[in-house]
Amino acid sequence: MTGSYAELFFLIFFGVAAIWFGIVVFRTHSMVRSALALLFSQTAIGAMFLVMQAEFLGVLQIMMMATEMSVMALFMVMFMMDPGGMGAMDMSHQKRLSLRAGGIGLIAALAVSWLPDWGPVANSIPDASRQVELLGIELLGRSMFVFESAGLTILTSMIAATMVAIAPRKIGEDT
Amino acid sequence: MIVELSVALSIGAGLFAVGLYGALSQTNLVMIMMGIELILAAALVNLVAFWRYLHPDVMSGQMFVLIVMTVMAVEMAVGFGIAIARFRSRGSVEMEEARELKG
Amino acid sequence: MTQLTLTLLAPLLAALVIFIGRRMPEIFALIGVVLGLVGAVGQLFGVVDGQTATAVLPFLPDMPILLIATPLTAILSLVVATVATFVVLYAVGYMRHDSQRVRFFGTLLLFVTAMQGLVLSGDWITLLGAWELIGFASYLLIGFWHDRAGVAAAATRAFLYTRSADLGLYVGAFVLIGVAGTSEISVTLTAATGTPALIAGLLLLVAAMGKSAQVPLQDWLQRAMAGPTPVSALLHSATLVAAGAILLIRTAPMLPNGALIAIGIVGGITAVITGLIALAEKDLKRLLAASTSSQYGLMLVAIGAGVPIAALLHLIAHAAIKSSLFLGAGVFQHDRDGTDMDALAGAGRARPGIFAGFALSALALAGIPPLAGFFSKDAVIAAALASPAAAWLVPLTLAATVLTGAYMGRALHVLWAGDVIEKPKPVPFMAAGLGVLVALAAVLAVGFGPLEHLLDVELPTAGFLAPALGLTAALSGLALGWWVEPQRLMGPLYGWAQRGFVLFGGMETVMARPALAIAAACEHLERWLYNLVLGFGRINISLGWLARKIDINGIDGFIFGFVRKTIATGGRARKLQSGFIHREMALAVIGMAVIVAVLLAAPLYS
Repeated sequence: MTGSYAELFFLIFFGVAAIWFGIVVFRTHSMVRSALALLFSQTAIGAMFLVMQAEFLGVLQIMMMATEMSVMALFMVMFMMDPGGMGAMDMSHQKRLSLRAGGIGLIAALAVSWLPDWGPVANSIPDASRQVELLGIELLGRSMFVFESAGLTILTSMIAATMVAIAPRKIGEDT
Repeated sequence: MIVELSVALSIGAGLFAVGLYGALSQTNLVMIMMGIELILAAALVNLVAFWRYLHPDVMSGQMFVLIVMTVMAVEMAVGFGIAIARFRSRGSVEMEEARELKG
Repeated sequence: MTQLTLTLLAPLLAALVIFIGRRMPEIFALIGVVLGLVGAVGQLFGVVDGQTATAVLPFLPDMPILLIATPLTAILSLVVATVATFVVLYAVGYMRHDSQRVRFFGTLLLFVTAMQGLVLSGDWITLLGAWELIGFASYLLIGFWHDRAGVAAAATRAFLYTRSADLGLYVGAFVLIGVAGTSEISVTLTAATGTPALIAGLLLLVAAMGKSAQVPLQDWLQRAMAGPTPVSALLHSATLVAAGAILLIRTAPMLPNGALIAIGIVGGITAVITGLIALAEKDLKRLLAASTSSQYGLMLVAIGAGVPIAALLHLIAHAAIKSSLFLGAGVFQHDRDGTDMDALAGAGRARPGIFAGFALSALALAGIPPLAGFFSKDAVIAAALASPAAAWLVPLTLAATVLTGAYMGRALHVLWAGDVIEKPKPVPFMAAGLGVLVALAAVLAVGFGPLEHLLDVELPTAGFLAPALGLTAALSGLALGWWVEPQRLMGPLYGWAQRGFVLFGGMETVMARPALAIAAACEHLERWLYNLVLGFGRINISLGWLARKIDINGIDGFIFGFVRKTIATGGRARKLQSGFIHREMALAVIGMAVIVAVLLAAPLYS
């Protein structure tokens, strides 16, 4: 049971960290800081995955989010009027509605988390290598269609995003 | 053990609430995307928790996580594509200034 | 078959070519009539060989269009074609300076076509059609110079008179068709007997009276002189006027005694009265017109006497004679710019050649041997003598013969006796047409024998009585006409005859005014109907207006109200659509919350 207490502790620790950095994302005026805060938040989530013994997913989450957030930080610098947040300008609106929505969402989600009887909890889980093996069998077996369509979706969105992002040119113009 | 699941779900609920607030309150397109990222991250946390504490031997849960990650990536790609196009044409990605969708 | 087609279609096609092409109408007209003549000659040779050519075209069920070349119709067709050919030849010269030659020759050939159709028709329907066409074409031709004073009125009068009489033909033809059950003429003639035959015969007589200008319907013919002279020649000799006589000749086998007597009496009276009119006439062409009525009266006498062959012979002889007389008169008319007797005095002496032809024709008409008129008139007198109604017919016939001689003698006297005013230019085309017709008028009698043989009938012979009576009457008439003034000859009758023996205010009252009154009544009726229709239209319009009102206030109101409501709803929904991304997203979140709530509440209502 010691392991379980340690698990619970780290779960809470990283969870609170993730939420805290999530809040920081919207509290700071600097966009770069926002991006970095989001990066930390996502990393904390990845750490939660690791705590929950989903090692593959945890590592994947950390790597992916590190890349993604660095790209996002880059874009922040590009697009923000005040990337450094020096003007202390409020970049938010409809705060009351948003707060209410967030509060209601929180209460509802918490209620859903705590109220139902989730049934018996599984104790033994496959070790990491077995997990990856099973995941591979799952992906190339039963869920192959879903997996392939996910890949196709990424391809499509890549092309679409590129097309949207390319500067519009007049037809017949060179370069 | 039920406590861990509920704690994980509560963390997901918190992330969801923060993400929802951010997505609704931010004026910048990239910031909105961050909010959505947080919401999706909450979903990830929930999915992993369900997998870990309810059906660890069924890999569909992890598979679902992968799909949600795909959705995050796609959301990012499309969001940044729109942001670039918008910045190119308007010089800004402030959503306060975007009224083209007005009916 | 080929000859039939040629006879009928050549003039028709020529007419069409003239109307469409509007070039060289003379050439095409000549080609058309000459081809028609060739066809007619071919027909005659065909029937001499004993063949009866027929052409059947499908038409109404059991009533096909039937063209037939029997000996009788072939001869008549040849007469029509011959006269038409020479009249056209003459008209080439006569109409040389007219600007409306296209219209003239086109209509003329149309007329010839119609006449050939009438002559060759083998069924009543075709005959009626051709009959109508003749009336129409003659109307156009008589009214050819419609911009001259009185011409249009004359054409209308001719049309009205013949049209009203045509009703007789219609009713008669339909009586015959009804009795026989078929429209084929030869069948109906044998099928009709007794009362239907009598009724039909009398009705046909009415039609013939109209077309052949018999008393009391004679007036239109003299006025029809308003048309160009070639038209008069054609109308009077072989076509329009002949149509009536031809109709009776063709139906003669059917006619019962009652109808025959009526025909004979009408013919005899006409012959005398129009002879008197001719004698009193002061205009050469009108004189000739009256003479035409008179001669057709003689033909009717022959038919009434039961010897249609005599009528046919006289018709043929008269066709040649009268057309040559008219052509001669036309030449004089050109010389003197008029046909008044006073103006024409001496015109004959100025043109000895033309006058010789004219005189020859006049003598032939009077009945001087060995010219054609002598033999045909002889046949008519013989027929009258042999008739059961001889007591009526013979005196009338002889009187008509005397009168014929008298008015022809007078005409010759006037033409010869005056002074020569100027030396006229030669008229080759007119002279050619005239010359051939005069030659025919002179020697036609040679053909009478073979003709009788061809038709397989015998003329009644009355020994020397008929020729003697005829010759005596003709000579005395000529002598009277040459030497005695008509005023003295006719005494009190003169003035009356000059007015055309007007009875009861003349045909003006009997025919024209009723016709005009009927027309006026029709006009009234039509106006009334028009107003009625207009009223209906007004009612409909107000109904439509009412419907429109209902439409606007009711249905449209409902629909537009609905539309307005929808638009207003849309406008309200539009306000939600602020265009702000965050608002949209908030709405999306609310929507999702609603969906989640509904899903969560599922256990409560499922």
